[in-house]
Amino acid sequence: MSKLPFRMTRRTFLQATAAGTALAAAGLAAGPRPAHAANVIKFGLIHPVTGFLQFSGTQCRYGALTAIEEINAAGGIKALDGATLEPVLGDAQSKAEVGAAEIEKFNEAGVAAIVGAYSSGISLATTQAAAKYGIPHVVDVGVNDKIVSRGLANTFRFGPGFGVITEAGVNGLIEINAAAGKPARTVVIVHENTTPFGSFMAELMKKGLEPAGFEVLDILPHPTPNKDFQNIALKIKEMNPDLIIPSHYYNENVLFLRTLQRQRIEPKAIYSVLGGASSQYRFVDEFPDAAQYVMDCNHWFDPRNPKAAALRAKTEAAGKSFSYEVFLAYTAVQFAADAMERAGSADRAAITEAMASSTWAGHFMPYGPTEMINGQNQGARPLITQVQGSAIEVVAPADYATAPAIFPRPA
Amino acid sequence: MSKRDRALGWTLLLGLLAAVPVFIQSGRWIDFLELTLFVAVMGQGWNILGGYGGQYSFGHALFFGTGAYIQALLQFKLGWSPWVTLWFAIAGAVLVGCAVGYLSFRYGLRGSYFALITLAFAEAFHVLARSLISVTEGGRGVQLPLNQDPGQAVASFQFTFANPFLQSYGFYYTVLFLFVLACAATWLMERSRFGAQLVAVRENEEAAEALGINAFRIKMGSICLSAAITASAGVYYVQKFLFVDPGIAYGPGKSVEALFAPIIGGLGTVLGPLLGSAFIHIVGETSKEAIGHFVGDRPGLDLILFGIMLLLVLGYMPRGLVGLLETAWMRLRADKDGPNA
Repeated sequence: MSKLPFRMTRRTFLQATAAGTALAAAGLAAGPRPAHAANVIKFGLIHPVTGFLQFSGTQCRYGALTAIEEINAAGGIKALDGATLEPVLGDAQSKAEVGAAEIEKFNEAGVAAIVGAYSSGISLATTQAAAKYGIPHVVDVGVNDKIVSRGLANTFRFGPGFGVITEAGVNGLIEINAAAGKPARTVVIVHENTTPFGSFMAELMKKGLEPAGFEVLDILPHPTPNKDFQNIALKIKEMNPDLIIPSHYYNENVLFLRTLQRQRIEPKAIYSVLGGASSQYRFVDEFPDAAQYVMDCNHWFDPRNPKAAALRAKTEAAGKSFSYEVFLAYTAVQFAADAMERAGSADRAAITEAMASSTWAGHFMPYGPTEMINGQNQGARPLITQVQGSAIEVVAPADYATAPAIFPRPA
Repeated sequence: MSKRDRALGWTLLLGLLAAVPVFIQSGRWIDFLELTLFVAVMGQGWNILGGYGGQYSFGHALFFGTGAYIQALLQFKLGWSPWVTLWFAIAGAVLVGCAVGYLSFRYGLRGSYFALITLAFAEAFHVLARSLISVTEGGRGVQLPLNQDPGQAVASFQFTFANPFLQSYGFYYTVLFLFVLACAATWLMERSRFGAQLVAVRENEEAAEALGINAFRIKMGSICLSAAITASAGVYYVQKFLFVDPGIAYGPGKSVEALFAPIIGGLGTVLGPLLGSAFIHIVGETSKEAIGHFVGDRPGLDLILFGIMLLLVLGYMPRGLVGLLETAWMRLRADKDGPNA
């Protein structure tokens, strides 16, 4: 039997173990460090940057980091003598339990506020974990309304949730259809049913559309990920609806719309609600034919605001797509930074209070001045966009429209 | 390793785990230990069927998910106490285990065929959980109400808003208790006639049957015990995170976690799942910290490093970490006793 390269006796083993344990205990017993040292405020960013949500999580992280970079470049938090924000990054690995574990790290690191965590499932876990320590947590994208209806005083959402988005989607569709002489009556809803997002959406859309006179021919669910939409496309072809309403994540939305194109299924309109890809520049650039005339009720910026155009230019110069993840995470960080300015403190409770009473209006989203009720920004709402040529135009509501809707789409 | 050494080792380990609040106040590291023990419990469930019984399952999420869903649904739909629902959750998973075991073992499915049938059942339950919306809430998942009354923390089995001790250590002790139960059940099984017969079936089913062992009955017993232990991890998950959806419950992630821990730690050993889970989490955390420190923000690079280390362990330590520990211990003893001992 070969010998070990060093001679280990029971005594040396015990000595090494004791020394190791002492060192580890010294590290483990360390409590939360001060939130700001040397005029730096630690700021937690939790997103799924690996796993099946990796693309969206990375986009969110980019948006949030860009906001922090800009805030620091503009002189930091002025009410705190120009304190700079130091991002503390967390990867939820697309799993709720990992996201919650990262919040524990943030607490130990002494973060003053958190922005994240893209998906609803992860956000439910991270907001709950942050509530234990009273860390203000701004949800950037998660649209599940349960996130802000659990009575957690630390939880805020700057953007809209399911309820508002679906209502806007239904109302917008009714108006656009009425303005065109009601050419569309029959509808097929296609939605992902693996996560809360698609399932809630389908149910709420059906409830909203039927009283308005639309006939929902069928609701076709599919899992995420999904590699084949042939069967769903053939079913749709057979039913020949006037309208198709898809709700998916990015990859499935691209595949679905391309399958419709290949099968030559040409309804009067494709009207997505949180379509995943339907209002993404990346999709329009890569598959312009499949994207043409697709409408989407989704998170969108005020197209007339020059700050949005500047961020888009910066994002594209960095080789990134200017997607909803980028501008929602960017705005969520700005909202939190504004609360720090208002609070004049990096104290978690003071920031939470400032968020709850925020009237921030210096953003580029179509929300108006901020008004938080139970953690939800009351003015938050989606816009309705349509791919027209190589551009994504806002077609409703009228006060933000950059082009009229092309409805029904040309044959 | 002598019985005395083993007993001493286990006493030391469990004593250290029980005394954690004395020397660890860090929420981060408590959570780290919780996740380690959580995977160890799932791993122990898998180990009973796969490690001791030789029936490799690729779909243990089936039992985790069934336990989690029953725990969540009975509270959500019927308003039952979580302390009552947990028994139904475990019993439900055992029933599912019985059904899968009966269909598989009755028709003699073994090896890769058994692995595939478990994978297929997990996927079938995944589809059912998505499709039976009136029962399971479909893809929306089940979100339990969050208790914010510290006085109701124990009754609601939720410690997010409890007294400071329960808030910090409530779920840690919950999962530690489940881990101790799982280890005790495995240890007792290992020393029982049933355990010996299970190992005999693993080594050579035909020979075991020739000796009068009812292999079908033994394998059914092991799948039921395995399902019960794995379901208890599902109960813990739901009470901690208050949310379950089809992907979390029946997705492949939990099945992989359940089988990795005992394979790395040491198949068919009581300690293996804990060592394997600790290895996975320590290496995962260390590689993440090291990458962050030396290379900066490179998402996913830590997972690549982790994968390489995993391959090395699987390639060079066929008996897992338990085998490595035993070899090290024997060398230590040999050194102490001297060459002529």
